[in-house]
Amino acid sequence: MNAKQIVETYGTFLAGVALFLFLLGFAPNFASAANLLNVLKQVSFLSILAFGFTFALIASELDLSFANVCSLSAVVIGFLISTEVDWPLAVAAGVTTGIVAGLLNGFLVTVLKVPSLISTLGTASIANGLAFMITGGVAFVGRWDADFLFLGRGKVGVVPVIILFTLAILAAALILSTQTRTGVHIQATGENEEAARRSGINTRGCKVLGLTLSGLAAGLTAVFLVANLSSAAPQMAGDFMLNGIAATLLGMTMFTPAKPNILGSFVGALIIVMLSNGLVLLGAQYYIQDIMLGIIIIASVAVSASVLKRAAFAL
Amino acid sequence: MAPRISATGIHKNYGAVEALRGVSLDVRPGEIHAVCGDNGAGKSTLIKILAGVEQPDRGEIAIDGRAVRFDSPTAALKAGLATIHQDLAVAPDMAIYQNIFMGAELTRSVLGLRLLDKARMRKESLGYMAQLNDSITDMNAKVNALSGGQRQAVAICRALRWNASVVILDEPTAALGVRETEQVLQLVRSLKKAGKTVILISHAMQDVAALADRVTILRTGRNQVTLEGDLSADALAHYILSGDTRH
Ligand SMILES: Nc1ncnc2c1ncn2[C@@H]1O[C@H](COP(=O)(O)OP(=O)(O)OP(=O)(O)O)[C@@H](O)[C@H]1O
Ligand SMILES: [Mg+2]
Repeated sequence: MNAKQIVETYGTFLAGVALFLFLLGFAPNFASAANLLNVLKQVSFLSILAFGFTFALIASELDLSFANVCSLSAVVIGFLISTEVDWPLAVAAGVTTGIVAGLLNGFLVTVLKVPSLISTLGTASIANGLAFMITGGVAFVGRWDADFLFLGRGKVGVVPVIILFTLAILAAALILSTQTRTGVHIQATGENEEAARRSGINTRGCKVLGLTLSGLAAGLTAVFLVANLSSAAPQMAGDFMLNGIAATLLGMTMFTPAKPNILGSFVGALIIVMLSNGLVLLGAQYYIQDIMLGIIIIASVAVSASVLKRAAFAL
Repeated sequence: MAPRISATGIHKNYGAVEALRGVSLDVRPGEIHAVCGDNGAGKSTLIKILAGVEQPDRGEIAIDGRAVRFDSPTAALKAGLATIHQDLAVAPDMAIYQNIFMGAELTRSVLGLRLLDKARMRKESLGYMAQLNDSITDMNAKVNALSGGQRQAVAICRALRWNASVVILDEPTAALGVRETEQVLQLVRSLKKAGKTVILISHAMQDVAALADRVTILRTGRNQVTLEGDLSADALAHYILSGDTRH
């Protein structure tokens, strides 16, 4: 590898390390155990959502609905638990909601041929409306089963279970995307759909799968989010939309440059959460975060994202 | 003996364009059958139909005397027909070995999981590639770093890897230099020697004359003539230019 390739492949990652060291040195309280655990918890929610968005993007589809679908799943869980349904069933229903939303997106894209940029916007709006319909506009708070809350707040030793779940999901997503036939079929579909189809790959299935994994990720995140906050409300995952997209796009600037990849999305999520957290600790105004996010999104796409351009302009 | 492949009365329209207006093609087992004709004659359209990439509006296809319908490329591959298309259809941003094994990736079992066997795919890719172009040795290189001729070699390797009994090549030497062209022609001969049936589309009349057992000439979406026996490049060119339908 020459110097240019090293910068292209690891530059963003090294910048993340530098950011971490900077915050350790200069951001008051950043290094405290409580703050670091809080950062990792935020990374958990964000990275699982970003993995889903990444899978859809590997298939060259944009899923702009994942945050609203996550909120809808959360509300479904909250509603069912508030009506005395056993929590495992409520969790299953929440995850299923995400999967169904993903399947719907897949159907819209592959059968009705509505570009994902548009169809997932539609799904996002529908999910948002349904979430408000279920809650009547208020949040579900109140009594939650202790076993359920353990999913979001429990610890094994000193390590929050939510972080263990996230690492397990990271490992599964990494293996699926880089070490299995299904993973390369999704990639081939995203890279050149016609070449993949002529090679006997079920390209429609791959697109549906990519979008469904995004829905699944939204459903899983909803479980952890509700269990962690012990409440469920429409729009509760709203902030994850731009953050999740930014994490994925930032991830495309590392490891396998210009391609969406799971490890990159994970590090991207780490960097974005650290940055937000650090900015608050350093006393920056709240609006700086939004400006920063916008810059990350635009800059990442400018340097790398041929895949994204393909997905967005497949109209 | 039943023809290996028989297409009868194939019609295909693209909107108002009548690409094929009742074309028939019989290919005997183990022969090299060339399909020739001017630009736009319908050769690639016929090949796409045999490969399951496009579906005919009318007409029948039979393999070894049995009627088939290829409603997807997968169906044609399963029936033993592998095709190198004129537009190649490679994924430029993926590695050479990933393109060669696209859709037929090799796996191995690791702790009960079926994971990709990348080392073996790279090794076997190198083997396929050596038959065509031994200057390409890094199977991890992306296809977009290759020349047109080298990409063609990748597309040909992808077809070889299916180990199909019928290999269809749509202008396989179009982008190739002298040496690579000779290697592809050699490969076509060795396919025949291995008992495979070959359909070859080419504008290079001397190649067709040297290789083909029979030649079917298409003209504006119809059969013009099918020729057999000793053929010279000049005679073939005469047929294509004149539209002569006599054998
Ligand atoms: N996808 C398509 N849409 C519209 N018209 C098409 C399409 N594909 C082919 N055609 C038309 O069908 C006719 C036959 O095209 P085809 O590609 O089969 O010719 P060909 O014999 O392979 O020519 P060449 O020697 O240039 O490769 C042409 O008139 C072409 O313009
Ligand atoms: Mg052609």
